Amino acid sequence: MKLTRRDFSVGVAATLAAPAFVRNAGAQGATIKIGQVLPVTGSAAEQGKFALNGAKLALEAVNKAGGVLGKQLELVTEDDQTTNPGVVLAFSKLAAQSDIVAFLGSIRSTQVHAMAPDVLKLGKPMAIGGTDPNLTHMGNKWLFRFRPNDSYSGSVIADYGTNTLGKKKWAVLHSTDAFGTAGGKALTEGLSKLGITPVIDQGYANQSQDFTPVVLAIKQSGADVLGSYFTFENDLGIFARQLRQLGVNIPWVGSPSIVGVSSTRLAGASLYGTYGVADYAEDSSPTAKAYGKAYRDAYKLAPDNQSAWTYDAVTVLAKAMNTAKSTDPEKVRTAILAIKGFEGAEGQYNFDANGDGLHGYNIVKNDKGNIVFEKHIEAKT
Amino acid sequence: MDQILQLLFTGIGIGSVYALVALGFVLIFRATNVVNFAQGEFSMVAAFLMVVFAVDLQWPYWLSFIISLAGMALFGVIFNLGVYYPLRHRTFLPVIIATIGASIFLANSVLAIYGPAPQVLEGWFETPGIQLGPVYLDSQYLLIIAVTIVLVVLNYWFFEHTMLGKKLQATSQDKEMASLLGISVSSMIMITFIYSAVLGGLAGILVAPILFVSIQMGATIALKAFAATIIGGFGDVTGAIIGGIALGIIETFGAAYVSVPYKDAFAFLVLIAFLVFRPQGIFGERVAEKA
Repeated sequence: MKLTRRDFSVGVAATLAAPAFVRNAGAQGATIKIGQVLPVTGSAAEQGKFALNGAKLALEAVNKAGGVLGKQLELVTEDDQTTNPGVVLAFSKLAAQSDIVAFLGSIRSTQVHAMAPDVLKLGKPMAIGGTDPNLTHMGNKWLFRFRPNDSYSGSVIADYGTNTLGKKKWAVLHSTDAFGTAGGKALTEGLSKLGITPVIDQGYANQSQDFTPVVLAIKQSGADVLGSYFTFENDLGIFARQLRQLGVNIPWVGSPSIVGVSSTRLAGASLYGTYGVADYAEDSSPTAKAYGKAYRDAYKLAPDNQSAWTYDAVTVLAKAMNTAKSTDPEKVRTAILAIKGFEGAEGQYNFDANGDGLHGYNIVKNDKGNIVFEKHIEAKT
Repeated sequence: MDQILQLLFTGIGIGSVYALVALGFVLIFRATNVVNFAQGEFSMVAAFLMVVFAVDLQWPYWLSFIISLAGMALFGVIFNLGVYYPLRHRTFLPVIIATIGASIFLANSVLAIYGPAPQVLEGWFETPGIQLGPVYLDSQYLLIIAVTIVLVVLNYWFFEHTMLGKKLQATSQDKEMASLLGISVSSMIMITFIYSAVLGGLAGILVAPILFVSIQMGATIALKAFAATIIGGFGDVTGAIIGGIALGIIETFGAAYVSVPYKDAFAFLVLIAFLVFRPQGIFGERVAEKA
């Protein structure tokens, strides 16, 4: 067969155009893809399982209701190994897939910090659960938070312990990672606004095997109330047992992990009577209650914030894309920021210009192992 | 004074856990000249076995304990045959890498089988602890300390006063000479792996009611136990025990009187100091010479 100049030109043009054609075909594929980085291995693997449960539940609901832009929504996941290098690698793998239109990031602030520069570079929306206030205040317009941030939780913990429980001598305890440091600072600032300086402000390293020195320091400080920011439920469980064993029985108001499913199970009676700020509280609203029922039916597990935020994130991302009638990042971003008064499992979403959706916390109590809703406090900042 | 006594008790308790795991490190190092980086996972596997028998199947605690330790003995055999034996004629490096690979494999296997959720394993005693004057004595820590003391005595008697112990010592000192004397070196190494797996398992089961049963528990303890062996002297049984307890006390007092967040750093500062100024540890021979 003789190859003419015309055949050659057509061949070259087809070869050059093929990748673009394939990419275009991919973008116009049968599904719309959302990427999710989550810990499948490592110390937060259990939390990762819950995060996936919530996202999948929302995915089913969205697809049952007609999907996004007439297509089914699909979730693509990568294991972040509960480490910062792991999360960066996991995100880079997802970011390389050009047909993924938005992402679910981590509930761990330190990992969101690790990914943040790459998210900014890529320029696509990422839903996050990390509660370090800085995450949405550092000029990264692609991060949208689906939990209240710790400047709110700090002020709510301080308010409840001081004004409702009537305690003034505060012990502040927090992990020394990004989440714990920011949380401890937020609580101290919340107390400062009430004219209180903590009698002790103590940090601890994650994965501690023994908290005796910490407990003794709290005991010696004469504190009459404890406010805490624990990152890992395992640490919280060990601390709670040692705290009570060494005879410290002061009221305790903790960050959301204190009312997490794992903490409640691991620490048992040591956490009875404690309070927690909870973004997700089953009895806080009809939507939260409906989510709780759906989650229990699907997984035979108690729901908590680990899954509720990813449920809301998928729901809101789908809603934003449908409202924007596009998956274009800028249009989706505008649509997310326009969401006001949307009732989610975690609470009512009113996105502000920084990308924070929620602005208050529920106070819940551990009543002999049952997490009971006490009151909702909209934060004063 | 009350605080010092409380810290001392806790330091000795947590240090005893490091000591038990460190003992496993030392025994395998003496027998094979390699560091078994899966030693921590031995503790984790045994703790999960206990959860399966005592919690999931609701078998009596003592029976679950015996079966779990028997399981660890079998595990020691499998580990020896699967990880060490095929590489026994190679230099120490491939074997060390194989033990690191095995530790990753074990952690992920347990994760795949049991899931990521930490589990609660209750201790031996109904009472969590006793108040002795101003000091609270955690029952589980008391048990750990008692077991460590018994093991120190048993180890001494076993290695110094039994034929099998002497054969194991001869094997660890010079395999070729031991072989010429009619000692089955591979059998001795097999026994060492079994004993180390049981020891690591024992530490895991004893510490589980305090630290909970999680995939990470082995790695967390092993790191400290490894430091303890360096401090005590790599290859020395007494050193491992003293190194472990010393480490527990140092980090507990360091956390109380210097800084809580840098608690782990004290252990490793001491480790670095030993590596620089006394690499043979308190009792041991030089690691470089042994390796």
